Amino acid sequence: MANITVDGTPLEVPDGSMLLPALLDHGLQVPHYCYHPKLSIDGSCRMCMVKVEGMPKLTISCNTPVRDGMVIDTQSPEVVNARHGVLELLLVNHPLDCPICDQAGECYLQDYSFEYGTREGQSTEPRRKLLKRVDVGPRVVLDQERCILCRRCVRFCSEITETRELAVFNLGDESRIDTFPDEPLANDYSICTADICPVGALLSKDFHHKMRVWFLDETESVCPGCSNGCNVKVGVARREVQRLLPRRNDAVNDTWMCDHGRLGYRFVNEARVREPQVRRDGAVGEIGWEAALDEAAARLKTLGAAEGALAVIVSPHLTNEELFMLRELIAQGLQTARFDVALQFGAADELLIKEDKAANGRGARDLGLVTGTLEEIAAGIEAGAIRGLYATGTDLWEVWGPRSAALLARLETLIVHATNAHPIVELAHLVLPGLTFAEKRGTFTNVAGRVQRIDRALDPGSQLSDGEIFFALAHRLGAKLSTPRFDPTLMLQEIARAVPTYAQVSWQALGGGGLPTAEREVAAPVNAEAEG
Amino acid sequence: MPGRVVTVERRPRPRAMDSLGALAILRGLAVTSRHFFRNLWGFLRGRPTIFTINYPEEAQQFAPAFRGMPVLVEMPDGKERCVACGLCEWACPVDCITIYPAETHDEVERYPRVFDIDMSRCMFCGLCEESCPEEAIVMSDRVAIASTHWRGNVWHKQDLLVPVGDLEKRLGSIRRGYDTRASEPAVERESA
Repeated sequence: MANITVDGTPLEVPDGSMLLPALLDHGLQVPHYCYHPKLSIDGSCRMCMVKVEGMPKLTISCNTPVRDGMVIDTQSPEVVNARHGVLELLLVNHPLDCPICDQAGECYLQDYSFEYGTREGQSTEPRRKLLKRVDVGPRVVLDQERCILCRRCVRFCSEITETRELAVFNLGDESRIDTFPDEPLANDYSICTADICPVGALLSKDFHHKMRVWFLDETESVCPGCSNGCNVKVGVARREVQRLLPRRNDAVNDTWMCDHGRLGYRFVNEARVREPQVRRDGAVGEIGWEAALDEAAARLKTLGAAEGALAVIVSPHLTNEELFMLRELIAQGLQTARFDVALQFGAADELLIKEDKAANGRGARDLGLVTGTLEEIAAGIEAGAIRGLYATGTDLWEVWGPRSAALLARLETLIVHATNAHPIVELAHLVLPGLTFAEKRGTFTNVAGRVQRIDRALDPGSQLSDGEIFFALAHRLGAKLSTPRFDPTLMLQEIARAVPTYAQVSWQALGGGGLPTAEREVAAPVNAEAEG
Repeated sequence: MPGRVVTVERRPRPRAMDSLGALAILRGLAVTSRHFFRNLWGFLRGRPTIFTINYPEEAQQFAPAFRGMPVLVEMPDGKERCVACGLCEWACPVDCITIYPAETHDEVERYPRVFDIDMSRCMFCGLCEESCPEEAIVMSDRVAIASTHWRGNVWHKQDLLVPVGDLEKRLGSIRRGYDTRASEPAVERESA
């Protein structure tokens, strides 16, 4: 450790680290554009200049290694003046687009101009004209005039995705960010360039002109797109999810997330099933919650009376708490039923995207719900031995593929939890609405065994969560339950008691960054503060 | 413990004559009659001395600083000046403004696809006008905003658009009022 003095305050910082990250880790505010904790050092913005005693000129703190005994001044008149100058030069060519720019409200140029800038510019020259609304890729749009050439996006494409689509073209005053001809910015992480862009030069097309950021209520959660469990912030406004943003967690996703996961929130807003539906004599009608639960319990009881007539397909998109409640339901109410988890697999890459496409396949495995009998269940339905199926999600449709429709049509009773309109809903005899990740509290366990919290970003109103449905069914089937109601926090305590690897887990202990439950994951220090 | 003792001065009881009210009635009649004849005389001479007007045949002329119904400035090309930045929506203390932005191929790439003001909520504070960076929403001199429906005093974009020519007085007024830099000399300003 090295001892340095910053603005008269002694600080202890790690040896060999650069000055800027050391200062930021101590919670000090030093304005910076080009520095990003997960990218190499560029030193191009000149915004992070500080005064170091003994150095003849101001120096950029992002590229100055700490030395024992260093005395640093971040507030001296020279530093303040340098910031004024840098901001004024950046603003010489920056268009006054703020009213139509999506970045407004979370723009570092706005914030720093307000905090460290001067009120008036001195330039009387016309602003540089460059291309606006450049279609650089299928999911990202570029405005060259707004760019301040910090090159974060260029470094991201060369260091993180290693696809090198973006580059700085031309020299000096003519410098601009662009893509090479016929090589669009189309990698799986392209919207991350919009995240790290400190200004509104790179913007996500999905969020373009959609919502002002100051209207968003952000809830810390976990992306349900695959089993990697990237930490996200769910931005909600007007009772809809407007966007997902990655949240920094060095043990899981650093500060990145894939485009697929980021754009995978739409199902929360669209074509939702909100009321229980029952099919009687071919006609489908909505019934109330109580009647639906009674009907489901009655059907499950009848089927459960016959050995091997009922199967439960567990959705790996349920939270750990819900899976645990379902385990109780099966153990105490549906002893004769066979069960397995409908796991989906797909393409993976080295960075974040994982093969297991469900958010909580690992949690289902840890709770002992994966039995590997999914094919046997399919065969049982084919043979007519299994007459009833209780599917707690719509996943099996994709897992069983083209034969699903024929298989499910053979069933006497099909009870389905569905969040959205889905072909399975058309076949089901009883449909119970499910809640999405954005509407419930709970935990997911990612593929590496890290338990992470999700939280309620949208109010589902009077709609029951899947866990509450399981609780109500278990109650109706006469199970002896240890909690008076389905409460995710209490249920997590039950899990900690029942599953040895989860012994350390509690809602409080998980915090924003989650807890590892497996040996193979090494806990890295988590800086909860996201870096934009 | 008793509180502080305050001595209250009582006004003298009214006299019997006053309490009958006879004198007061006569006094009141005299005031009314005086105004009646003065106004009649003024009306006959063609120089009325009263402030009432024959609404709705005549319209009240308001001062430029008057804050009536907020309206959107319509440019000569028939489009709104508003770019749907959302600042008025944010500034509005009663949340009566709803904006849905969208993209156009015009030079200014953003416009309000939906711009609604719930006039039954609006309290005419003028913060939307003050927060607008584009001079696109102004407090007009329009005051006829009553609705015969209990629900549905929501004004849509097309109802709110007023040609810029009709709003020059107000625009001049807010430029004087809000542009603090107008009075500062020194640096030459660039047109945005």
